[in-house]
Amino acid sequence: MMHGALAPSDYLVIAPVAICLLFGAALLMMRKRIDWQPWLAIPGFLLLFAADVLLLLKVAAEGPQTMMMGNWKPPFGIAFTVDMLGALFVTTAGFVGVASAIYATFSMSRTERRYGFFPFMFLMMGGVSGAFLTGDIFNLYVWFEVLLMGSFGLLILGSEREQLDGATKYCFLNLVATTLFLITTGYLYGVVGTLNMADIAQKAARLENDGAVLTIAVLYLVAFGMKAAAFPLNFWLPASYHTPRFVVSALFAGLLTKVGVYALIRVLLMLFPPQHADLATLISWVAALTMLVGAFGALAQSDMRRLLNYFVIAGIGTIFAGLALTGGEGGASATVSAASAATQAGGTAPMTGMAAAAAPLVPGSDSLVIGLSGAVFYALHSIVIMTALYLAAGTAARISGSSSLRAMGGLWRARPGLAALMLVFLFAVSGLPPFSGFWPKVILVRGAFQAGMPWLGAVILLTGFLMTVASARVFALAFWRNAPEPAVAGGPNAGFAPAGEPSPMLAMLPLLILAVFAVVAGVLPQWLVALTDVAARGIVDPAGYVGSVFGGVS
Amino acid sequence: MAEIEATTGGILALALPFVAAALAPILKRIIGAHAAWVLALAPAAAFAILFSFLPEVSSGGVVQFGFDWIPAFDVRFSFRIDGLASTFGLLITGIGTLIILYSGGYLKGHRDQGRFFSFMLMFMGSMLGLVLADDLMTLFVYWELTSITSFLLIGFDHEREKARRGAIQALAITGGGGLALLAGFILIRELAGLNSMTEVLAAGDALRTSPYYLPIFILVLCGAFTKSAQMPFHVWLPNAMEAPTPVSAYLHSATMVKAGVYLLLRMQPALGDTALWTTVLPAFGAVTLVMGALLAVRATDIKITLAYTTVSSLGLLVMLIGVSTEYALIGAVLYLIAHSLFKGGLFMVAGSVDHGAHTREIDRLGGLARHMPITFAAALLCALSMGGITPFVGFLAKEEIYHALEYGDAYHIALMAAAILGNALMFAAAFIVALKPFVGKLPETIDHPHEGGFTIWFGPLVLGVLGLLGALFYETYHALFSGPMASATYGQPVEIDISFVPHLNLAFALSLATIALGIVIYLASNGVRAATSRFLASVGWGPDHGFDQAMRGLLRFSYFVTNRLQSGRLDYYMTITVIAITAALFVPMILGGALPAEPQMPQLRLPEWLVLALILVGIVAVVVAKNRLTAIVSLGIQGFGTALIFMLLGAPDLSFTQFMVETLSVVILALVMTRLKLSPADHRPLREKLPDAALALAGGAGFAVFLLSIVQRPFDPALSDFFEEYSYAIAHGKNIVNVILVDFRGVDTMGEIAVVMTTGLAVLALIRIRVGRRAKAQPDPMETTP
Amino acid sequence: METALSLVVGCLFAVSLYLLLSKHIIRMLLGVVLLSNAVNLLIFAAGRVSSIAPPLVPEGAEAPLAAVANPLPQALILTAIVIAFSFFAFLLVLAYRAYQDLGTDDTDEMRVAEPEDDGLPPLGY
Repeated sequence: MMHGALAPSDYLVIAPVAICLLFGAALLMMRKRIDWQPWLAIPGFLLLFAADVLLLLKVAAEGPQTMMMGNWKPPFGIAFTVDMLGALFVTTAGFVGVASAIYATFSMSRTERRYGFFPFMFLMMGGVSGAFLTGDIFNLYVWFEVLLMGSFGLLILGSEREQLDGATKYCFLNLVATTLFLITTGYLYGVVGTLNMADIAQKAARLENDGAVLTIAVLYLVAFGMKAAAFPLNFWLPASYHTPRFVVSALFAGLLTKVGVYALIRVLLMLFPPQHADLATLISWVAALTMLVGAFGALAQSDMRRLLNYFVIAGIGTIFAGLALTGGEGGASATVSAASAATQAGGTAPMTGMAAAAAPLVPGSDSLVIGLSGAVFYALHSIVIMTALYLAAGTAARISGSSSLRAMGGLWRARPGLAALMLVFLFAVSGLPPFSGFWPKVILVRGAFQAGMPWLGAVILLTGFLMTVASARVFALAFWRNAPEPAVAGGPNAGFAPAGEPSPMLAMLPLLILAVFAVVAGVLPQWLVALTDVAARGIVDPAGYVGSVFGGVS
Repeated sequence: MAEIEATTGGILALALPFVAAALAPILKRIIGAHAAWVLALAPAAAFAILFSFLPEVSSGGVVQFGFDWIPAFDVRFSFRIDGLASTFGLLITGIGTLIILYSGGYLKGHRDQGRFFSFMLMFMGSMLGLVLADDLMTLFVYWELTSITSFLLIGFDHEREKARRGAIQALAITGGGGLALLAGFILIRELAGLNSMTEVLAAGDALRTSPYYLPIFILVLCGAFTKSAQMPFHVWLPNAMEAPTPVSAYLHSATMVKAGVYLLLRMQPALGDTALWTTVLPAFGAVTLVMGALLAVRATDIKITLAYTTVSSLGLLVMLIGVSTEYALIGAVLYLIAHSLFKGGLFMVAGSVDHGAHTREIDRLGGLARHMPITFAAALLCALSMGGITPFVGFLAKEEIYHALEYGDAYHIALMAAAILGNALMFAAAFIVALKPFVGKLPETIDHPHEGGFTIWFGPLVLGVLGLLGALFYETYHALFSGPMASATYGQPVEIDISFVPHLNLAFALSLATIALGIVIYLASNGVRAATSRFLASVGWGPDHGFDQAMRGLLRFSYFVTNRLQSGRLDYYMTITVIAITAALFVPMILGGALPAEPQMPQLRLPEWLVLALILVGIVAVVVAKNRLTAIVSLGIQGFGTALIFMLLGAPDLSFTQFMVETLSVVILALVMTRLKLSPADHRPLREKLPDAALALAGGAGFAVFLLSIVQRPFDPALSDFFEEYSYAIAHGKNIVNVILVDFRGVDTMGEIAVVMTTGLAVLALIRIRVGRRAKAQPDPMETTP
Repeated sequence: METALSLVVGCLFAVSLYLLLSKHIIRMLLGVVLLSNAVNLLIFAAGRVSSIAPPLVPEGAEAPLAAVANPLPQALILTAIVIAFSFFAFLLVLAYRAYQDLGTDDTDEMRVAEPEDDGLPPLGY
């Protein structure tokens, strides 16, 4: 009744979560040693990133990995199952974690460090990593709550009035979203009687035309759509993301909405493919409106950070567009595969991810794979670039004393290096080549044409155009233009921590690290395309995932 | 072997400008303006490499090389050098070399000269990649790179709002058109399965007969027309004059603006010669030609004059490509090369005049010939070519154009009329720029006019002389440059035999007529300028003004929409959320047929009835409570009721926890409410409460109905059976719930502990860090508390 | 029993949503407490009420001798209760701090992060 014995390298599956929680707890105990904190935190994040990368390599080489907690046989114990999708997300999260930790070292005040900046960051990262790695849907809820509480802590750190206001809206609305997630999981348990996701995938596949399953799928769409800030449930994001410290905004913008996206892919696309196919039209509308709301919202802002808030939303819309491409019969093909996985769950050798990728898919699921692969690529790009944009905006705002486009200026001359990096990030987020945002957009537009939704492709391109205009305006107003007047003290954006002025050179390091991704993913995208393709195929045909959970049973 | 050389050489040529761009700022720092001499080696070397391909290309061969880029999507990083690409490449690198040298002198001592070199070289590399690219995606990447780099170049004088406006305008128009082009390319790739220009050209009629011809045509045209400044997208071009003159000389002669023309020439064999093509292109082209020329004569700034003549020339080119006949295409090719040479030269002349006389206003210029003789000579050479006077390459072009249009039908007559009028106006404009500043009396406002250094006059002179040499040695010129280019454009080999010796035919007569008309316009230029100004003033509105209106309109619209959606009120956000949740419950439940069967009256024991009633009383009391004590007590009542239910239904652990949590909640809520002196009562009028109540009831009903539907289904207790069976046997615990918590699902509990720990810290941070209502200073508790 | 529980759950949700829709944070907090109870009862009902015997292994036995109540939902609810209480505590303190610094618990008047009239963005270039 126990799962097979574990090799030491199997613990890699749980390592990212363990590292985060351990470092979080350790830093919490040492919170009075303010000066030590960064020098423990940065190695901690490096260690986390290293573990993430090793895990990614392992998954790339051997296919999905499962570790049963407490060594209980699935589906009875909690499974940590990592496939390419989870591995890619968790690695990218670790990557921006490292950059943000370095940035925070120079930007968070002593008070804020004393009241737990780094512990919050580790705990939130632990929740994020846990969400990406767990194979159990109730456990996914628990990690959602961990990351949510960590984000609450980060959000209010500083106790500015804007923060308290923003936090109120953020907290209540997110509480409703995660509670809806829990409610839906309760319903789901009532229907299938299990919580392990691989198990659910098999059991739900037998309930194809079931209204209850459809309702559950829609409820998950609402809950995760809200977490991802999709229209019309995106209010909490522009209400709060511009209020905390820049590095906190950066982490949020990079990670939190993407956890919602990840959960949506994992739950809606992998567990309920026929229901997902039914909902494709709805998702395409949500995607289009989210993109447009984001793009127009960005143009409407006079504050750089609030503008970036809307860039996050536009990015979410673009990702959703990738989730709307079913090509008509894609869902059905996945069902067949899931059913076939169920039959072989009895005890064949664990399938590898590559083998699953090579397996021929039923025609019609092509645009599903393309859309999903584009969405995953775009999500990874968005994690890195949105983090980078907020960090760069933070440095820019510090130097000019404001983040208002009315008051900023002169940075092109004052900080050419920062300006150059900002330009790279702005072009990347607008989807211009040769930066990371370009190829996923091409993939998505291509998928939209293939799936017979050219209008959605057109909206993606229109959004890119509007974001280009918004980006060009930011650059012209905040960087090219001379500062219109000396920085106003006590303005609406005067809440920049006076302590801990970052050394500009060191504050540039994380930006440089992130810019490397923007350029490499734009110039040499093949490796990422290959990885996201494996990830997408692993979702469309979850045989590898299911096999990794149940395959080891003797 | 030859292939390897082609690959190495080709990639080297493509990479050199970017390498030089990376080195430029450092080099500038070390050796100042002399960096130009070193940096110019990069385009010069690229020119030499491309020149070495000429023997093969001019004999009809095609040099191809490339690598796989994204095999998953059949995207290759591949290039194709045929006659069209070769001549374009030579113009780009050749004029590029001169421009880099010119910039060395023109921007000498400018603090950002290093940056300038860098942008210029990056632009050069992008443009070169654009014309050499074979794979459609490769081409597009370079296409957008030219938009990005030109954004930086046009906004170079970034402290002036006009420069920033020009840069944004250019990026918006050309970048926006680029996205249309991307859609067009993806259509060609997905629906026609053609990945590269080589495949497109080899596909014959595949695209013309495709059902998607119309969208592809429109999208490609959007890309080409925005880049090549056709009406009404031309506005960005004159505004790009905000950039330093070397930028104008380069972008508006052989490069940026020619990218659209290049694309049309390139795709002509595959997309051209349809009714749509031969109507739409000439129509846009002719309007652009005439309007551009009129606006050119109107302008008083010689750089702006040149800018509008560029618009006009682009119109002429598009018109000719639209005609699609062999002669028209030869005319287009000859004109394109001639234009690159004379326009590059004239822009540099305008820069030299600005440099030497510190003004570009035509009314304030005159008599510079004596002070700037070399520049004057260069200006005349270029103007003669532009005016279409033999023996200059411009003459060859104009003869061929008239030759191509000399048919008696209305279509050709209309186009011919446009060509003659446009050419005459351009003739006048050429001499306004090249003659007026140099002849007559030197105005007193010009202080100490002087010739620039070698790098300043060298470029225009070379281009002027080349315009002469090309015509004198026309056979070589046709054999190496115009012939192969025209062949590649037409899709099959063509012979060009036009020479600088005029033949007495209709074309020559029309040429003479054009020149005569041009001279008249030149002499009457002040009158023409006044007349066009009056006319345009009476129209009032132009596309340039329209751009500002569109931009402001876009911003206002965005602001309006965003403020509507993002109202800033939590209750509004919450209302939308609850509506979404309610809809998510009912719509799929009804559509999917998951409504529950009519429930039976439940058979409950008395205690159960009592407890349920207790809960209901509690929650109703919470809502209607008039004071905080009642509300809190009621909350406690329903909480204890819930705990009792758990107790009655076999969950003692739950019941105990619920009691504890409920007690704690009530106590701290009471504490806080007392301190804040807040009343939980709702003082809103009934009509405001009712919608909320209706929505809440709907939501609650949704949850209840769906739960009812689920509990009526059969249940799979496999998990719990397992737990019951092995809880003691393997995990050695008698309380199954506890065993699940700490063993079977121990990770949940770990996460739960993490949540509690984080909450504690977050509450501490909330309470301890205080900024206060006014005070901005942050007291550090480390300092204040011992 | 499940039917009766469903109805109670529905009432709890309705009242909780009504309170959450309010403009006053203090009322929303009451809604949060009710929401948590509603969810817990929902999960409990979703696991079915098959038996009302507590899920314990009697002394000397290897496994429960008769049918017992489904233990898994109980374990899930225990986790959820604690988490929900943490959130409630945090929100309560947040409301308290917001009231202190913003001077109101009316969400309509809390317009610091998103000021009422922000003005058009700069229309120039």
